[in-house]
Amino acid sequence: MSVRRVEGLTIEGWSPEYGAPVEGDQDEMPAAQVDAGAEVPEDEWRPVDPGSDAWMPASVDFVDGVRRIEARIWITGEDGEARLGICASYAAGVVRCDRKAEIRAVKVGRGFFALAPVPDLATRAGTFAGCPVAEDDIQQLVNGLQERMGLLEVEVAGPAGSPDALIVLDGPLRGRQRIQGAVGYVKSHRVQYLPVGPRKVVAALAPGQRTPVFLIQTKWTRYSWYMRLSEADGHPWAGIVRCEAWSESGLEKVRRIADATGAALPRFASEPHKDDRAPQNLYPIAGLERELRRRLGDRGMVLRALQRAVWGFRP
Amino acid sequence: MSEQPNSPPIGRVIGTDPATPLEFWVAVSEGCFLQLDDVLVLERKLPGRSQPVRIYGMVADLRARHEGARFDSDVFLIEDGVLPAQVTEAARVLATRFEPEVYVAPVPGEVVRKATGDARDQALFFDGMKRKIPVGLSRDGEIIHANLEFLDGTRGAHVNISGVSGVATKTSYAVFLLHSLFTSGQLGGGTHNTRALIFNVKGEDLLFLDRANRNLDGEQQGRYAALGLPAQPFDSVELWAPPRQGDPSAAPSTGSRADGVSSFFWTLEEFCTDELLPFLFADADDDRQQYTIVVHNVTAKLRREARPAGDGGVRVGGVTCRTFGQLIEAISDRVEGDEGDWAGRAIGGGTINAFVRRLHAARKDVRHLVRGDVPNPGKHRLDFQEQLAVVDIAKLSRRAQRFVVGVVLRKTFQRKEETGSREPLLFVVLDELNKYAPREGRSPIKEILLDIAERGRSLGVILIGAQQTASEVERRVIANSSLRVVGRLDSAEAGRPEYAFLPPAHRQRATISKPGTMILSQPELPVPLVLEFPFPAWATRPDEAVAGSGGPEDIGDPFEGLE
Repeated sequence: MSVRRVEGLTIEGWSPEYGAPVEGDQDEMPAAQVDAGAEVPEDEWRPVDPGSDAWMPASVDFVDGVRRIEARIWITGEDGEARLGICASYAAGVVRCDRKAEIRAVKVGRGFFALAPVPDLATRAGTFAGCPVAEDDIQQLVNGLQERMGLLEVEVAGPAGSPDALIVLDGPLRGRQRIQGAVGYVKSHRVQYLPVGPRKVVAALAPGQRTPVFLIQTKWTRYSWYMRLSEADGHPWAGIVRCEAWSESGLEKVRRIADATGAALPRFASEPHKDDRAPQNLYPIAGLERELRRRLGDRGMVLRALQRAVWGFRP
Repeated sequence: MSEQPNSPPIGRVIGTDPATPLEFWVAVSEGCFLQLDDVLVLERKLPGRSQPVRIYGMVADLRARHEGARFDSDVFLIEDGVLPAQVTEAARVLATRFEPEVYVAPVPGEVVRKATGDARDQALFFDGMKRKIPVGLSRDGEIIHANLEFLDGTRGAHVNISGVSGVATKTSYAVFLLHSLFTSGQLGGGTHNTRALIFNVKGEDLLFLDRANRNLDGEQQGRYAALGLPAQPFDSVELWAPPRQGDPSAAPSTGSRADGVSSFFWTLEEFCTDELLPFLFADADDDRQQYTIVVHNVTAKLRREARPAGDGGVRVGGVTCRTFGQLIEAISDRVEGDEGDWAGRAIGGGTINAFVRRLHAARKDVRHLVRGDVPNPGKHRLDFQEQLAVVDIAKLSRRAQRFVVGVVLRKTFQRKEETGSREPLLFVVLDELNKYAPREGRSPIKEILLDIAERGRSLGVILIGAQQTASEVERRVIANSSLRVVGRLDSAEAGRPEYAFLPPAHRQRATISKPGTMILSQPELPVPLVLEFPFPAWATRPDEAVAGSGGPEDIGDPFEGLE
């Protein structure tokens, strides 16, 4: 299966997105174990107000990343077999919202994901660093990309954080637990975590209110809670988001953070005419994503740079 | 030329809007700012050339916006600290000069600096002007020059000033130009002999040019100093006003200015011998008008048959005429009555009536200006001795104004034609050109203005003309003006093709120009310059005049003591 030497590279003529998993598909995994009684017993569940003494963070740092597959590349080994690889760009950044919203740190990475050995691919648009993965099906390649992007998010969030800041990561925490005190922010609800009783509490939430904290255990363990961002028309779960926090932080700390999300996040909720994922897609995150995509560079330019590099590639 | 422009970088050429050789956008660096009319410079290296091309330009427009915002209401989110965005500022630059002349587009990313000192002079072509006069200050207080060679007839001549009455300060600017011409020393040895003639068409603004202005404060004096010009009134001025109606001694009709004003009129003798009759008729050259043939026949008859009768009077046939009224009676008799054939052959009665009717209508307008009833009429002849002559026609009727302007210009032009030399120069300031050289129709005075516009350059007669609306003035008069100046314009007027020399941004600015701000276009510069000129150092109203100041108070009569 494995080869020692790369003999040649070819860019796949098909669109790079073809067959790639849709972003966020594997963000949520089916729940294995849920303990709804982590904060209050399941039968005492009712909406929780942040309370007047809730921690109001001085600033909120939103951390997010974007990724883009630039090209699918066929790698020919010395055995004459062609294996699939992808060249992708990814970026991560932090936007700090205190009195003004300001993009603090942006990092852009470019990677060449394929079975080892992977060469670095130097192009006019930057070097696509070789990132070996274990399997050359598209799912694993994209997982490798996702992992790199997560690392970059950890990297930009690390120095930007401050003790008075609430750190919100777009998407589930998985893979990014290392950011201290960070909250994962999940916009969609594909997985049902709660039993029927507590689910009614979610539907009854008022804007800014949250459910009691519950514990989710899959491959790793974290605390989670639902909260309502804004009054939304339609179904009872409109305007609901799920947050999660690293269980190692301890329940008390997580409760404090959970109260802070209820107090701090609703003002960032977007409006439907400005964002098609309103209100869950928060304004600062949408702005950051636009900026990050811009930083990835023009897609056509990057593809052209890759083509030149591939034509000129000598092992 | 080869030294590096040393001012700090102020921005870079942007690549999101196309950069063309003539127009490009520059993003302003953080912590810097640009304002309209700032002069910029950038360099572009060309392959195979050691010398970079230096591109000079001027800021014509500025824009600031939020990058990252998509909706107008995003501004509230941004200010509330919810949406991240960046404020960016960019300036639209119109290129003025390429050195050397390789017309390439500036490359996006190129560093842009402010042009100061020599670089600014190069940008605005001041470095190549051998003789230049200051014509105003830029917004940042730097001198703006005009090339004298385009003013004195060497390579061009004439100035045309447009602008709304009252706020455009057209006449003030014309007088300021004269001040600059006379005192900047750029005319060299010819300065002393250079003359200027101004017609005062409104109010009494120009009757105090020889008096210092008491309202001139230190700041304004400083602006004169910045221009390198003395803050002083004109020192060689003569003032002429028409005689008072009905006054047998022909005392000047003046309002608040009494001293040092002479009255002017023409004698009946001059009226006949110099063929002044056509100037009474606005459309005397219009072939569509039947009666104009009568005008020309009578003019010829007057020249041939009128005999001097002393003190400016004439004898026509057996009749001695001392007043204009008597003369037109005598003329009427000879065109209508049996006594004469002055009207010419085969002229219908209706045509003759039209002529006589117009002649009589002119009577009350000009009877004090054309006469033979004042002894020693020589001292009332407009014969300019001082450097600056002001002829007041403000209180005259329209017909009389046209008569005076037409006759004065023709005589002046004829005299220059006779000498045949360009030097010394004569500058003629005339406001309300639309009255004297309208776009439509023909008249004797329009012919003279056209003559000045087209031949004045070689004869040293320079017209500084002004009007509210250039669209109503004969095209050729404006087309022959090297320097075009625009003050405040009405917005409908600013859209007319006569102002096509203004780029769109300048046209828009012309509609909001304040008094004292002008836009000047000169042949060498592809971009018009916005300038400010200082408050007059001379009085423009009696209450501004410092008593007993300035030039000779007692210019009085240059013929005093002569017979």
